[in-house]
Amino acid sequence: MDGENMKEKFLLALAQISCQRGDKKANIKRIEEYTARAKQQGADLVIFPELSLTGYTIRDELYELAEEIPGPSTNAVKKIAKNYDAYIVFGMPELSEKARSTVYNTAVLVGPEGYVGKYRKMHLPTHSVFEEKRYFRPGYQAEAFETNLGKIGLIICYDIFFPEVCRLIRLGGAQIIVCISASPAVRRAFFETLTVARAIENTAFLAYVNLVGIEDGLQFWGGSRLIAPNGKIIAKAKYDEEDLVIGEVDYADIKPVETFVPTLKDLRPELFDKLKEKAENL
Amino acid sequence: MKPLKLTPSVLELDWAEVETKITRFIKDYVLKSKAKGIVLGLSGGIDSSTVAALSAKAIGGNNVLGLMLPEKETYNPKDIEHAKIIAEKFGLKTEIIDITPVLEAFRKSMQIFDDKDRLCKGNLKARTRMVYLYYYANRLSLIVCGSSDKSETMIGYFTKWGDVAADISPIMDLYKTQVKKLARHIGIPKEIVEKPPSPTLWPGQTAEEELGLKYETLDLILYGLEHFMKTDEIAEQLGLQKALVEKVKKRWQSMEHKRRMPLTTKLQYRTVGFDFRIPFMQ
Repeated sequence: MDGENMKEKFLLALAQISCQRGDKKANIKRIEEYTARAKQQGADLVIFPELSLTGYTIRDELYELAEEIPGPSTNAVKKIAKNYDAYIVFGMPELSEKARSTVYNTAVLVGPEGYVGKYRKMHLPTHSVFEEKRYFRPGYQAEAFETNLGKIGLIICYDIFFPEVCRLIRLGGAQIIVCISASPAVRRAFFETLTVARAIENTAFLAYVNLVGIEDGLQFWGGSRLIAPNGKIIAKAKYDEEDLVIGEVDYADIKPVETFVPTLKDLRPELFDKLKEKAENL
Repeated sequence: MKPLKLTPSVLELDWAEVETKITRFIKDYVLKSKAKGIVLGLSGGIDSSTVAALSAKAIGGNNVLGLMLPEKETYNPKDIEHAKIIAEKFGLKTEIIDITPVLEAFRKSMQIFDDKDRLCKGNLKARTRMVYLYYYANRLSLIVCGSSDKSETMIGYFTKWGDVAADISPIMDLYKTQVKKLARHIGIPKEIVEKPPSPTLWPGQTAEEELGLKYETLDLILYGLEHFMKTDEIAEQLGLQKALVEKVKKRWQSMEHKRRMPLTTKLQYRTVGFDFRIPFMQ
């Protein structure tokens, strides 16, 4: 799909919403409203938070809410993408096709052409207030998806603490890394640093979209942002409140950064074997 | 790893941010629960004054009902005066009800009632106040807002199903010394902030005397325990006997029964308190 159809330059929307927990219909409606508003402002890509189809803190409700991909909810969002001629990234609990209650925490990418791809969260936080490993099976692959907006890579929230995932999708050709998130307020400082770091070290754009609202006493801090390959914040959403912010991606910006700080040129693959060896014996 | 330094500065927070988070939490909960407002016990002490003020800031004083529930043994006109100052300053609705006749009725109706057992009698007072708060809450479609702080909750310095009983407890994640700082920040008068804290279960009772520790010290011990510090490390840093720190730790751990749903034994597929994991739905 690259070649003449691909846009080198486009607008994207950080759709920082709060969710009606357990109410997929209401959340799809919200996805549609925000997509309509974003499209009106010229956005070709609209990004929603982690598990935005259901809300984040759904605990045992998960088994009732999870769906296969493609499935009814993906189809509904696919239709929205087609109607508004936009790409949409959103998060949902994905039911495995082969099992009855094996669920992934998944980011879905749909576009005007239909279903594009999905990413299953690899790093599931199960510490502090998080209990994701209790409910989800981790994913095993990360890739970059070809679209009319260039190659898009997806990651989810806690994945950002592990540079390997971003690196993997960057090496898969991603020019923009989309990180959907549900991060509670006490962790804000980590994300504000790591989002910038992942963009710089991969010389890629990074769009981070976080949830807002309060779920079971957890306050999600918002602060969604689009970061340029040089670490500059191009657009930033409000803290704590719903917001829709548009930012411009211009892939031409990658080249000067890549020559100035050539992290990809200087990669040392032999270190990865060492890393694997050491990590297995931590 | 460098050990945590237990100095008073570890208890510092951004009080404006804390105020915002707590008021947002209260407002969100009241809204989602579709309650008409809040009822709380107003004792004239620092914790209930702080919670009353935060509730008023969150949903407006005219939606907050402060019940003053004195009884003759511990009656102190100063406390009523303080409660009235708070009500006036933050525009709360109030009611005063003397609970002495109800306590008298208990005394008369129970053969084993022992006037000298001040702990049992004190707990009865706290539980009687709870009954009033919940009657008002049921009758007027209000939620009960609790005033328990983190210090008391951790060491179990409260009456089981008594003063701790509430629908939400907005300051339960703040140590007593932190509540003092927040109280000052939100404009609780000095005389209330500096008054020695007391559960007022019997005349002349003060928390620090009963606990044998100043809150300044207790809170640092608890903060250390919260952060997984070893008791000898805490004792050394604070210049305390290890036995004293051990005693606090034991007290904290042995009081878990006061902080959870009653324990049952697992018999079936999913069990209350074990693996029924239902979110607070909106």
